Amino acid sequence: MRPLLALLLILPVLAAGQAVEPPKTEGQAATKAADQAPAKPADQAPAKPADAPAAADAKPEAKADSPAPSTEQWLTGEFEFGYRWLTDIRGNFPEYRSVVNLGEGPKLTSFDFTIHDPHKRLFDRLDLRAYGWGGDPYNTAHVMARKAAIYELNFDYRNIDYFNAIPSFANPRVPLGFNEQAFDTHRRNMSFTLDLRPGTHIIPYLAFERNSGYGHGIDTWVQDSNNEFAVPILLRDSTNNFRGGVRFEYNRFHVTLEQGGTTFKDDDQSYWNGVNLGDRTTPVLGQTSLLSGLAQSYGIRGTSVYTKVLATARLNDHFNFFGQFLFSEPKTDVHFSELAYGNFAALSSLLFYSGQQTTGTGAANQPHTSANLGFEGRFFNRLRFVNTWTSDAYHDAASPVIATQLIQGASSTATVNALNYTQRVNYFQNQFDLFFDVTSKLVLRGGYRRVWGDATVLAGQLSQTGSLVSGELSRNVALAGLSFRPSEKLSVNLDYEGASSDRIYFRTSLNDYHKVRARARYQLNTSLMLQANFQVLNNQNPAPDIRYDFESRDNSLSLYWTPAAAKRITVMGEYDRSTLTSSISYLGIFLAPSTSTYLDRSHIATSAIDFALPGLSGAKLTAGGSLVVSAGTRPTRYYQPLARLSLPLHKHVSWNTEWKWYGFGEQLYAFESFRTHVFMTGLKVTR
Amino acid sequence: MLRLLHNSMKKSGTLAVVCCAAALLVTVKAGVAQEPAAPAAPPTPPAALTFVGSTTCQGCHEDIFNAFQKNRHEAVEKDKKRGFENNACESCHGPGSKHADSATATDIRNPARLKPAETDKVCLTCHLNQPTHVGRLNGAHAKNQVSCVACHSIHKNGPEGLVARKPADVNQQCAKCHADVWASFQKPYKHRVPEGAMTCVDCHNPHGTQLARSIQTTNANEPGCFKCHGDKRGPFTFEHAPVRLEGCGTCHQPHGSSNPRMLTRPEVRFVCMECHSNLPGTSVAAKGTIGTTPPGLHDLRSPRFQNCNVCHQKVHGSYVSRDFLK
Repeated sequence: MRPLLALLLILPVLAAGQAVEPPKTEGQAATKAADQAPAKPADQAPAKPADAPAAADAKPEAKADSPAPSTEQWLTGEFEFGYRWLTDIRGNFPEYRSVVNLGEGPKLTSFDFTIHDPHKRLFDRLDLRAYGWGGDPYNTAHVMARKAAIYELNFDYRNIDYFNAIPSFANPRVPLGFNEQAFDTHRRNMSFTLDLRPGTHIIPYLAFERNSGYGHGIDTWVQDSNNEFAVPILLRDSTNNFRGGVRFEYNRFHVTLEQGGTTFKDDDQSYWNGVNLGDRTTPVLGQTSLLSGLAQSYGIRGTSVYTKVLATARLNDHFNFFGQFLFSEPKTDVHFSELAYGNFAALSSLLFYSGQQTTGTGAANQPHTSANLGFEGRFFNRLRFVNTWTSDAYHDAASPVIATQLIQGASSTATVNALNYTQRVNYFQNQFDLFFDVTSKLVLRGGYRRVWGDATVLAGQLSQTGSLVSGELSRNVALAGLSFRPSEKLSVNLDYEGASSDRIYFRTSLNDYHKVRARARYQLNTSLMLQANFQVLNNQNPAPDIRYDFESRDNSLSLYWTPAAAKRITVMGEYDRSTLTSSISYLGIFLAPSTSTYLDRSHIATSAIDFALPGLSGAKLTAGGSLVVSAGTRPTRYYQPLARLSLPLHKHVSWNTEWKWYGFGEQLYAFESFRTHVFMTGLKVTR
Repeated sequence: MLRLLHNSMKKSGTLAVVCCAAALLVTVKAGVAQEPAAPAAPPTPPAALTFVGSTTCQGCHEDIFNAFQKNRHEAVEKDKKRGFENNACESCHGPGSKHADSATATDIRNPARLKPAETDKVCLTCHLNQPTHVGRLNGAHAKNQVSCVACHSIHKNGPEGLVARKPADVNQQCAKCHADVWASFQKPYKHRVPEGAMTCVDCHNPHGTQLARSIQTTNANEPGCFKCHGDKRGPFTFEHAPVRLEGCGTCHQPHGSSNPRMLTRPEVRFVCMECHSNLPGTSVAAKGTIGTTPPGLHDLRSPRFQNCNVCHQKVHGSYVSRDFLK
């Protein structure tokens, strides 16, 4: 991606050659101020009230959206670069990498430019954005080019490093250390979309997307049920997605027809050479179990075709129609081979053997059909109803063949396990909602949802019902809600959903549940806004063997204070209190009935306070950060305080310095704690 | 329904029942006791009202007009498709002849002052028949009277003119209302949303989709999770039922968790065994029939067996092992 980054940097320069700088206008200074408003760093806490959508709702009489005066500048934007230092990371370094993973060095933290070609030759507008380059674990780039009624091109690239080596997640007794199920990989997404003739009645489009993963990790090779051996694994997979279609957009109706297809491959490989005693610490029938060598290779290939038909129509002023038909049929071909040697035992046949060869072949085919229809009607000016119907069906066919050969000296024992089965999952939903405008300030909503379906799926190896197991789903859901806006300063939303289920699939599925969500927002005056959220979900399954009792509550309060039009100070603060309690009967040690209880009581606070430094025009000090303190089954503390200083050096240049501290600790897993200071300093150039 | 209400009174739904009852009373009162004031419908222009053209609007609203030239809605000005050519301002505000004469704000429609549903109606005059809105009726925003202008700025110019585009800005915009969700993202194990590597709209379509919680879809009808996690998509020759039946949220808390890998429980064994606890032959009735016998062979007191996916590592589905061992 470095060439791409270079391209991003060069493009504005190239465009400068084309564009003619227009004469400066009087309004340009104000324009620049508006255009150069500093972008918030990615990890900054959310939202100042000044540009909150709430404000748009609460103050409709304010000047329409405060538009900035137009500008004739062909290039606007900013970029920021700098250097990051970390103090010594105290505590568990793999845990730090699993949670934070920021590194030292020079960084291009943001690059964001928009080019308007005054001659509108190749494009009317070109947006170039890139964030997090220079060895950071998250890199993104985005390019958008548009020429009215001709084309619109979007390119998006993301690379997210996934490092995960969490001691408490692995087997702490593994001789090689806390490393089982640890990964150091990258996931990359890339997409191109090209719309032709946007804004016209008929819009063809093409797209290509690629998702890939690459990296290494520690997997386990499991031998019978006796022992498992940590082995390194190389992970490689990729999915390419090609699609194209055409949109017909007319005043009365719209239809989208899309055809696409994917290719998939997964080529994971494991190798081991040496003595590996595995996790088992005791001999098996008097012999030591060990793995001397392993060569394991996956060669999974997949393809799919899919079809998408979307339609909307305004039949008349009172009646709208929506519909979707979606079909996909992914297929997979399996080629797997494995050769392991060492000293192994098969307990079921009391056989000791020195080698094991496994080959796997097979295929899976999964036609998946979905449909969604809906219509919306308005009657009597006060009454509106919506009905939606959804169906979703997976019908899998799979035919795996696994051949295993156990080798003991010159002799061998072969077994072949073959299955040929079909899974079926059918899901249906119908929902009816009625909206009634009681007054211009109060809208009530009531509705009913019926959910039903059935599933026949592959059962576990120990199932007593054969290779397949069936279940059904049947649920009745009552819906209610209100939207109350008594004044432009206050708005209240309330949602209720309560259900009773006759049939569910899993012991922890939603059964008899109630869900309530309330949200209120109050604009106390022009500078102070308060918002409160409340939600609760209670789910019960009183069946004797299950006795599931689940309740989660979440209450949050937000405050936005911008006195004197945010000239001196702005304050944003949020506090969230969430509790989750869950208990369920399960079969524990040697099938003894037990109760699994889970508690999580969290306090979470975030804040950002901006001070304009007196005597230094444009200088700003920001303080804030977040903290998470939770108690319960896994008590955790996670602090991320920060301070940031921004000093203008020139009309277009400012110097930014940031300090952030990461402190993570767990009461029950003290060995996983870490803490470190992170400093970043750099320049921000705006135009 | 009675059973539902009964349970509601017993449990935390009390608030909801009170609210439902209050809403019912208000409805009855509105419908029976007195005729409520008519809701503020969008002013329907009398036949005499005519379009005056955007250049007339420019005379008084030059700042808005100029900014509008770089907003994507400027295309309406030259758009013959919907019949608003040269009347971009009035495509939303309605015919402006009376307002142009009187220069009074009340003489013209201001979508920002309408009820959300009425504001949406104005927007959907043009935008209804577009693919973005095909899932609108399923989405929570439309049902909860969150209007288009809560997220979209109609006049603004600049890169973020119509709606936030930068990752950090998109996330901020969502967090303004969904503060509780944003709080979850402060937990240690989460998707990389606060870092700006992902945005809320990567996973959710705010306009609504056919899936619950407006989850994005990919490859026509597959959950959007597989757009990034292509290796978990399959189809596998040995599928794990919850992945297809109830989705990733069965085991993961995608917005953030104090548990590694965003799991719903701190120890993997509890994630697994809360479902895998159906004894063969026992009557589990109709509730929770899928989820087979627990692993009685394993001594769960040993740390070796407490994280099931150390061995059952292909828990999202396997190509070669029915027990998800490889």
